[in-house]
Amino acid sequence: MSDAPKPPPKAPAPVAYKAPELRPETLPERAFVPELLRGLAVSTSHFLRNLLFSRDPSPDVLHRRGPNLVSTVQYPEEVAPYPPGYRGMHRLVPRPDGNPRCVACYMCATICPAQCIYIEAGEYPQDPIEKFPRRFEIDELRCIVCGLCVEACPKDAIRMDTGTHCKPTYDRPTIVYGIDRLLKGPAVSHRTDVWFKREGSDPPADGHGHPIPPLPGEGKS
Amino acid sequence: MARLFRMLLLGVLIVLGLCAWAWLGYLAVNWLGGVTLGWGWGATLGQAVAAIVFIQLLFVMIVATLLTLAERKWSAAMQDRIGPNRARLPGLGRFSLGGIPHVLADALKMISKEDFLPSQSNRVLYHLAPVLNFAPIFCLFAIVPMGPPVPIRHGFAVLVATLQIANPDVGLLYVFAIASLAVYGVSLAGWASGNKLALLGGVRASSQMIAYEVALGLGLVGMMMTAGTLRLDQMVQTQSQGLFGLSWLPAWGIFVQPLGFLLFFAAAFAETKRTPFDLPEGESEIIGYFVEYSGMKFGMFMIAEFVEIVTLAAIVTAVFLGGWHLSPAIDGGLASFAAVLVRWRFGFAEPTGVLLTLAVMQTAIFAVKVLVLCWLQLAIRWTFPRFRYDQIQYLGWRILLPLGLANVFATGVCLLLDPSLSLLGAVGLAEIGVGIAALLWSGAKSTQPAPAPAHVGSH
Repeated sequence: MSDAPKPPPKAPAPVAYKAPELRPETLPERAFVPELLRGLAVSTSHFLRNLLFSRDPSPDVLHRRGPNLVSTVQYPEEVAPYPPGYRGMHRLVPRPDGNPRCVACYMCATICPAQCIYIEAGEYPQDPIEKFPRRFEIDELRCIVCGLCVEACPKDAIRMDTGTHCKPTYDRPTIVYGIDRLLKGPAVSHRTDVWFKREGSDPPADGHGHPIPPLPGEGKS
Repeated sequence: MARLFRMLLLGVLIVLGLCAWAWLGYLAVNWLGGVTLGWGWGATLGQAVAAIVFIQLLFVMIVATLLTLAERKWSAAMQDRIGPNRARLPGLGRFSLGGIPHVLADALKMISKEDFLPSQSNRVLYHLAPVLNFAPIFCLFAIVPMGPPVPIRHGFAVLVATLQIANPDVGLLYVFAIASLAVYGVSLAGWASGNKLALLGGVRASSQMIAYEVALGLGLVGMMMTAGTLRLDQMVQTQSQGLFGLSWLPAWGIFVQPLGFLLFFAAAFAETKRTPFDLPEGESEIIGYFVEYSGMKFGMFMIAEFVEIVTLAAIVTAVFLGGWHLSPAIDGGLASFAAVLVRWRFGFAEPTGVLLTLAVMQTAIFAVKVLVLCWLQLAIRWTFPRFRYDQIQYLGWRILLPLGLANVFATGVCLLLDPSLSLLGAVGLAEIGVGIAALLWSGAKSTQPAPAPAHVGSH
């Protein structure tokens, strides 16, 4: 049996992470006390730096400067900024006259995976075409901030560009936001907006009050 | 920079407060001693009562109480955090006072919590155990001299006022005797709780404390031989002289007995049951002996731990750090400064006044040394990893005990060859030199192969 050829040793499987090689402990390390004293020096230096020097209160922790090493953000007084890509809580976009752009088409309520949007539609008595939301409520406890409602909206009436988050509250009813709290931010107009085609309407303007020039083919009709 | 100045100002204020406390203490000791002497009860009684008030209640208890907060704030500073600062006093707005209101909040919480009694517990022993744990530790401070004796004329008698509660000839033996009593409180707490895990914690605690009693004693034997006495005030007196006749190098215990200092400090640290040796408690993982205690009973275990820190710091200061002495040169400078102060105040250097002023300053020096040692213990507690249980027993029986015996032997040989402390000092300084060399070598060895991390944060 011992004459049988040994199988070749298996090559080690390639690993993504290369562990650092353990080196044998040196004598001072095994003596333990010098290593303990070095550890004590580390915590002492941290202690002295944090005790004697004032903290940079910049909420951007990674860019704090100075000898003080404390990385705490004192939350209610200091708020860490959201990254620039963060879109934040939704808002209902107003028209220039302050009413919501929403036409109560239920697209957002339909697509919402959390089913957190509740809409009651109303009609203008003199206008058989356009609707408006009597109630537009978002249960912020249910909302998962997925942004599908923004994608679904055909009227650019709901946007996620506030850059903030939903404020915490102590009771549930106050966290169901209605039109009064959702309708905020700069007003938005589009050239195709229907109210520009009515009699006596203001000329189309963008959100900053600048008039929007008509398209070349768009005559006065 | 503003914080730097604030902290320096705070340090100056602390030192001034300690001076004021020491001054009042000396006056009270002297006054109450005279009162009881007038009543025919002897001056010792009144002096001891005044010293109890000023040392135990005003120094030890306040420092121990503030250490409960300092443990949190200082550990936060060591770990780059801020620490508790949200408890605030009404009317002070946003000023957190360094977190001191948290101490009040803690006391309020402990007093107002339910006083829980486990159904399987032994009622009498359960109530007795916290007291048995706290009382011996609280008594330990009685023999620590916090200031030098000052003879003050009192009518026809001369009373020696000193900030020391009792000064028995047995001195350090009292420390060993009383310190070993604390193990009863701990093991009884574990047993009387009627909880198997608490019982295991109590057993761990008692075996650890018994193991380290021996090293505790042997660490001090070398210093007893060096000073030739057991009394702490005489030990402090021994350390006031200069080593090798030098006026800047004091013959502190840490210089003539560095090994003894290490042994005693390690063993006493094990007695306090704090982190490298905190297997009896193990607050976060393994359950300790006081798991069934709530409210102020638990608070007594906690405060006993902090009182023990202060006591250990004071004993180490008196035995190994020269007590209220700095080097002989600085002591002389302080004495002439005291004379200048008294002459500025009274017009001439009144001898008792000079002595009292010097004593007040030296008491403040002692207290500052105690505070620094308290800080050192907290730093150790927040730096070192916990020992395994077999490592604790190994360290106690197979490292500290033989080293202690060797230290006693070497000290005896040195003292036999050279009754002045020169040879002992040379050996001690050589030991310290070897330690520093090992430290530097270890630093060079272990910083060499450190691999560069992939990316380094801004800190």
